Amino acid sequence: MRTVDDEQQLRSRIAELEGELATRVEEAGEQELQLERYAADLRETFMQERRRSEELRSSYMLTVRALASAVEARDAYTGRHAERVAAYGLALGKVYGLRFTDDPEIEFGFLLHDVGKVAVPDAILFKPGPLTDAERLVMQQHPVTGSEIVREIDFLGAAREVIRSHHERWDGTGYPDALGGEEVPVSARVFAVADTLDALTTLRPYRRASSLAHARAVIEEASGTHFDPEVVAAFRSLPDATIEQIKLRVG
Amino acid sequence: MSARRAVLIVDDDPFIRKLIMTTLEGVSEFELHEASDGVEAVQTARRESPPLVFLDIDMPRMDGIEACRQMRSDPGMSDAKIVMLTATAEDSARTRAAEAGADYFLTKPFSPLELLRLVSEL
Repeated sequence: MRTVDDEQQLRSRIAELEGELATRVEEAGEQELQLERYAADLRETFMQERRRSEELRSSYMLTVRALASAVEARDAYTGRHAERVAAYGLALGKVYGLRFTDDPEIEFGFLLHDVGKVAVPDAILFKPGPLTDAERLVMQQHPVTGSEIVREIDFLGAAREVIRSHHERWDGTGYPDALGGEEVPVSARVFAVADTLDALTTLRPYRRASSLAHARAVIEEASGTHFDPEVVAAFRSLPDATIEQIKLRVG
Repeated sequence: MSARRAVLIVDDDPFIRKLIMTTLEGVSEFELHEASDGVEAVQTARRESPPLVFLDIDMPRMDGIEACRQMRSDPGMSDAKIVMLTATAEDSARTRAAEAGADYFLTKPFSPLELLRLVSEL
């Protein structure tokens, strides 16, 4: 049977629990505010980090472009060769199905491929006639010099492979390391086609610019010797319009 | 005297202790110690002589202000940095904590970046 005492005890127990509940609710509110503060700091840190990394990325790109222009400034004929080759290479890489096209390192490599030419004397670089064997050796040293110049620039990453291997050939007769087939880094295999495309379709001191159709024929002809046949197949499906747009845009 | 390579975290709310521990874990070479009230805090401080203490004010058994005073009277703790964790409503407590020897105040909800900054300054 329930007595008055029992009822009073029950009431005081209820009051006690209510007090405890109120404390818990207050604590939960404080904890929630604390977590919100963490979330706000996290968001702010993330945005700051993103801003910084964008700034850094853009500084890298500007630095690489400046260096590439310094290399090109010596040679009036190549003009904006590096910019065009980079754009062709990226477009070709996309068709070829390379994941690397989003990776700025590869673009850096395309832009800086000839950085080693700073060490080639004018008398050799601009010699109108054919090079002697000794001169050719000096000329063929430029990928090695280039890769040494950028050796310690960590942000260039895979760009260094392009710089060193952009004159390698699929059949193993290229330089400086006479790599063959898939030993040649894929970025350099793509680059080789882009480089030839640009060389043929722009004016040079020793010849007129070829038509795009002629350039395509020359590249097809060298599939399996100079070039990786799969890269040439990808090039085949790269529309004329894409190439012409790049040429027009970069100039 | 000990090697003074510890950070002491004192709060009666295990949630806050866990949060602070997790935030600071691995950030510096300092060991993290925790205490849930003033009495335990003073004992741990005597043993570890931590150069940095995060100290809640409102705690059972002994509050943070008294704990701060006792830590300051410990010769091993005379140049430790004592950071009080306060609620905004505790303005008068701040004055008393400062008198008891607190160096710095973090208002709850505190910024985790501020915590990290204090620890990396060590």
